[in-house]
Amino acid sequence: MRLRVCFSALLWMTLAGVSGCRKHAETAKSDPLLAAYDTEADWTDAQRVIPLNYEQAQGKRIFYQECVWCHADATPAGPSNRSNLTPVPPVLNDGATLDAESDEYIQNIITLGGAAMGKSAMMPPYGRMLSAEEIRSLIAFTRAIAQPPYQPPARAGSQ
Amino acid sequence: MSARGTVAWLRRFFFDSPAHRFAWASLLLLITLAIAPTKDFFNEWRHYQRHYVKFLSTRQDGAVLQGHFTWGIQQIWLPELGVVDRCTTCHLAVSEKSLQGASAVPEPFRVHSPVGHNVKDWGCVVCHRGQGPATEVAEAHRATRAWEQPLLPVKFIQASCGSCHQSVLLEAPQLMRGRQLLADLNCQSCHRLPGIESPAMLGPDLTNIGTKVSHEWIYKWLKEPRTILDKDGNVTVNGYETEDEPRMPKFRLTETELRALSAYLTVQRAAPVGAYKIDPRVVAAWSKNPDLISQGELRFRQMFCSTCHSLAVVRAGETKLIGGDIGPELTKVGSKVKTDWLIAWLRDPQGYLPHTRMPRYGWSDEDLYKVTQYITTKLTDSDLLTTAQNLGQATDEEIQLGRLLFLEKGCASCHVIEGLNPQKDLGPDLSALGGKNASELEFGAAKIPHNLVSYIQAKLQDPASVNPAARMPQYNWNQADLDAITTALLSLKGAPATSALQNLVVPRKEVSFHPAGQFAEVYQRYKCYACHKFNGYGGDLAPDLSYEGSRAPRQWLVDFLKNPQTLRPTLILRMPQFNMSDKDAATLADYMSMVLQHPEVNPAQGDGNQFTPAMATLGKQLYEVKYQCRSCHTIGGSGGYVGPNLSNAGGWLTPAWIEAWLSNPQALVPDTIEPRRNFTYEEVKALTAYLMTLRQSIKPQKSASATRSPARATGAGR
Repeated sequence: MRLRVCFSALLWMTLAGVSGCRKHAETAKSDPLLAAYDTEADWTDAQRVIPLNYEQAQGKRIFYQECVWCHADATPAGPSNRSNLTPVPPVLNDGATLDAESDEYIQNIITLGGAAMGKSAMMPPYGRMLSAEEIRSLIAFTRAIAQPPYQPPARAGSQ
Repeated sequence: MSARGTVAWLRRFFFDSPAHRFAWASLLLLITLAIAPTKDFFNEWRHYQRHYVKFLSTRQDGAVLQGHFTWGIQQIWLPELGVVDRCTTCHLAVSEKSLQGASAVPEPFRVHSPVGHNVKDWGCVVCHRGQGPATEVAEAHRATRAWEQPLLPVKFIQASCGSCHQSVLLEAPQLMRGRQLLADLNCQSCHRLPGIESPAMLGPDLTNIGTKVSHEWIYKWLKEPRTILDKDGNVTVNGYETEDEPRMPKFRLTETELRALSAYLTVQRAAPVGAYKIDPRVVAAWSKNPDLISQGELRFRQMFCSTCHSLAVVRAGETKLIGGDIGPELTKVGSKVKTDWLIAWLRDPQGYLPHTRMPRYGWSDEDLYKVTQYITTKLTDSDLLTTAQNLGQATDEEIQLGRLLFLEKGCASCHVIEGLNPQKDLGPDLSALGGKNASELEFGAAKIPHNLVSYIQAKLQDPASVNPAARMPQYNWNQADLDAITTALLSLKGAPATSALQNLVVPRKEVSFHPAGQFAEVYQRYKCYACHKFNGYGGDLAPDLSYEGSRAPRQWLVDFLKNPQTLRPTLILRMPQFNMSDKDAATLADYMSMVLQHPEVNPAQGDGNQFTPAMATLGKQLYEVKYQCRSCHTIGGSGGYVGPNLSNAGGWLTPAWIEAWLSNPQALVPDTIEPRRNFTYEEVKALTAYLMTLRQSIKPQKSASATRSPARATGAGR
């Protein structure tokens, strides 16, 4: 009887010692800016910085090259062309307008242009200039800076 | 029971019978053998894998994802890169597309956002660094004694792009900016930096500096380069803190060294400038005129000096530099340079400094007098040299010491003084800096974390903080530039380890443009390349002229060169008025029409007579209605101003160019933002016919911007 108690005590002690060797798992750093590939200041609140992942950052790069002239109120080269146009195109972070549109719709209107989607022909088609991947990254950037923030539709399989 | 009693009991219990002894020994052996499998069972990665399976069981698509999962250590092996990568052992969902963007995915199972290289094939450490073969969290992510290369902070991740991609990589703007800074600041003249070229323009040649500025000014400049103080002595413009990066860094010089260097420089007057006498009749006519200074300022503006030079301007209580940064800032230049030198310089800059980017204008004596009077009267500061008085005559000892210092401090790496050879390799070799271990670096007394990133940033911000004896001067960076240059330095990991990897390295494209003959002489005189690009060589302030001969007819080129009218009215920086002679304009236009041709655009092909009025009418309709070109282009007084003004498209563009452009703009100018459309052949012809009907004589036109409403300041824009 005493033997058995000794046995089990020894066994548990060894096990406890061995399992104690394991280092504790690190907790991941949570600073979003440290983990961000790039950032963009919120257009409606310059104090708020929006972290961007790689895809969104590529979208930002293309936006400031191709789209900023008509889809923002100020451009790197001075005043925007936006106020010149009728109908006035939406500002890119206009969540009230753009959040309601599906990714597919935005992908189509960029690729085929406004006229093909029954909107103003002032929006030219970019399908022969930007790759599908580049257009997807533009959509990702749009979603990232949207105000009010964009909520992706619930998709099958997620909780 | 006493202690002795216990020992006796234990001995009796364990060793009394051989059976007992054997049983105990076996048990011990068993336990020992059990240690390894037990440790393995409790391994961190098994913990994460169990956690992952549990997580999958909460999802509806868990069964599908479970199908992608296998227990055990996962490994990606890239033999050509010498990379073993076991990160996916714990980061199990890193390439699961269906989890992309899903909420509540716990770490370490977050999905990687889509990147150019498929994570499944390339693994993680190629970009993120860290210890790939490790299977424990701390060893994989952090520096350990055996592996001193921790994870690269995501802020600097573009450094990894640069380790293989030596050529231009638009996807990595931070890396590009860093490389550009390394080149512009001439870092490679002191350090070995493979792939970084020397800048187009080094610091000014100092062979004759004594004829240009005073002893006191040199002293002041060496003491505090590029600062502007207001009358109370407060710094209003600090070149270091503005966006245009200062090229002259601050050297840590003692008072003796300052005096010695300024003494040495002030005796550099090998070839005194010949004074130019402005026609006395011009001086007599203007010197008493009360409008002299304002007229001079007007000419200064009309000649668009501000395209290259900036002036400090007070706007809304804030002092800002307004203007270009190709040439030096001129706010106080009137107190800097001697008047004789200024006149000689403006007449023939290349006579004083052969490699300067300042063009040689065709000056009339009247303009020259007005502008020099404006500069020496208005662009001044009487207090500029108050901190540098009583320097006295330069002594021989000072000059000797100054010469020594000039070489020792590395001044000669950026500034030429004829007959003085710069020292080679003043600074350490940086070609493998990005792969250095922290133990190889000298941290001195600096209280910073001992890792490579902190070291680079400390060294860049204050070289003396890590090494008080450092010769490197001090630059002042804004945070973005500091991070960009850190990224570029971290990308330098030395020569690729294997030949297979060498094949992956995309070499930088070498570009050059070497015109000859009469054109070359005029091109050099007007320094066209300071702003325009020719076959990849030159500045990027103004349009690329590599194919200008295909774009514009000869007559338009001549007219434009004689009287530049901007095509893009929103631009602030414009082509200066060179007061070009007919002969120079003809030389440039002839060369461009003959040589600067696009292989697929033949202007001789385009015959204006092929277009019928019906085609032009159709074209007008396409322009205005179907394709709404007017949203970006202006014709007459209405339209957008993203693209150039087309009011004179028929005079400015050749039909062959318009046709080629409409079919594929990016084939002619790769980075143009004109969208490439799907026009039919007939539509291209019709649009060309319409655009060719648009003519406007080149006369000073009303500024189109006056009719436009300024961008609305709603606060939403940036």
